[in-house]
Amino acid sequence: MKKVEDIKKDFPIFNRIINGNKLTYLDSGATSQKPIQVIDEMSNVYLTHNANVHRGTYVLSAETTTKYEDVRNKLKNFINANSSDEIIFTKGCTEGFNFLANALCKDLKAGDEIILSEIEHHANLVPWQMAAKKYDLKLNFIKIDASYNLDVDHLESLINNNTKLVSIVGESNISGMLPDINLINKIVKSKSSALMIVDGAQLVPHRKIDVQKLGIDFLCISGHKMLGPTGIGVVWGKKQLLEKLDPVYGGGDMIEQVFYDHSTWAPVPHKFEAGTPPYVEAIGLGAGVDYLTNIGMDEVEKHSDNLRKYAKNKLESIDRINIIHSQHEVAGCTFAMSVDGIHATDISLMLDTFGVAVRAGHHCVQPFHRKLNLDATFRATGYIYNDESDFEVLENAIKESIKLLS
Amino acid sequence: MSIEEKVQKYKNILSIFPNPQEKYQYLIEQAKSNTDFPIELRRDEFKVSGCQSQVWLVPEEKDNRLFFKSDSDALIAKGLVTLIASIYSDEPAKDIVSSKIDLMEEFELGIILSPARRNGAFSMLKTIKEFASKLAD
Repeated sequence: MKKVEDIKKDFPIFNRIINGNKLTYLDSGATSQKPIQVIDEMSNVYLTHNANVHRGTYVLSAETTTKYEDVRNKLKNFINANSSDEIIFTKGCTEGFNFLANALCKDLKAGDEIILSEIEHHANLVPWQMAAKKYDLKLNFIKIDASYNLDVDHLESLINNNTKLVSIVGESNISGMLPDINLINKIVKSKSSALMIVDGAQLVPHRKIDVQKLGIDFLCISGHKMLGPTGIGVVWGKKQLLEKLDPVYGGGDMIEQVFYDHSTWAPVPHKFEAGTPPYVEAIGLGAGVDYLTNIGMDEVEKHSDNLRKYAKNKLESIDRINIIHSQHEVAGCTFAMSVDGIHATDISLMLDTFGVAVRAGHHCVQPFHRKLNLDATFRATGYIYNDESDFEVLENAIKESIKLLS
Repeated sequence: MSIEEKVQKYKNILSIFPNPQEKYQYLIEQAKSNTDFPIELRRDEFKVSGCQSQVWLVPEEKDNRLFFKSDSDALIAKGLVTLIASIYSDEPAKDIVSSKIDLMEEFELGIILSPARRNGAFSMLKTIKEFASKLAD
């Protein structure tokens, strides 16, 4: 892989000095930093091409539309979708799940069941709760075992004839857990007719994904966690399934014909994208995808695995620390932590004085924190612009913070 | 000392510390010196909502003046609430209600009083003012 120090040079934010220290950014689980290529591409659209997409009969609109639609193709290749029509742009992963919950649950009947896991982000929990209430559905939760991984035997026991949807995290934003999606999908499909949805918010930025090989039905992606800007995400779905779904949002651009009393829909994917889409953000995401593709997702994945091993050893050596992290051979470079007798907020405020950016709180996974009897944890996540030196800084800063707070 | 004078006192003290780490250490000292909060008062009715950590404020009225006991499960938040409680303690309810001090603007306390985390300190102040206005009525 390109050297991390060279990658860092592409990210202007790393020129910042925070509280007298070089920035050590370890909060990519919340959002990634942006390379200059993404920032420049978005400026370029506003400076030289800007016009609304799909509508104008003039040069600018045609240029912007081409750029926007090109991103669909980039994403199709990035996750090896069957067709670029399977790429639906959303505001982000959260909107993706809200869209799926609304689109899929309205055709279910009372008593039908949805399986999630105990460690889902609120984005892959609350929309299903809302739909469950509306349509009288039942939610079941796959247990997380003592090694912070998904209990596959428990999943098997939850599947029955009423199971209609299974939606699980692809890479946990708490424990770094990487469920065996392939295996889980096979189990789900062999025991039921349920559709399989994967939360790719943390998975897609860090690992090479092939949706056709995985055999799943839907994947939600967050743009801003993979070098893109905020306000853009993707729902990938199998085309034959998307064609059967009704749109959730109505308005401009998603129609074929509109009459006073009814309308007909544009073909997939446009029928799901009502109104002016965040096309500049989508084009920015396209530049982020190019950046990752140039490094190579195999390399990104290898880097994540190596960094995770190094970080795990470093962090585990700290006295009084408890780490909520998958004990599997392979997991994401994400560590939720707590220190005996010290509040996570205190640690993270103190780490900030060393220029170390981590997040404290429940990381939008409140029920699992409650299950562990934890009010809050602080979390460090590594990405392509982090290397061993960042985790060394973190280790020392945690040790110093513990001293200052004891 | 009036509320304004106490705010000025803490403002002077905090300005001595050049960086956030030292300011936090000062707050931690304040937290550690606050030892008189009875654990049984860590009740939901006294909890200040909107803080990332758990914060409790218990009002008490003596001779027409209000006093506040404070606590938190996080040290820096406890230091901050200790400081705020001391500013508004031993004051008549009507003075607390009428004080227009915006601590967030007065104290250079780095990110703990920045808009991102303003909710916490803002909620502490709001709680104190609510207690005072109930009594002032």
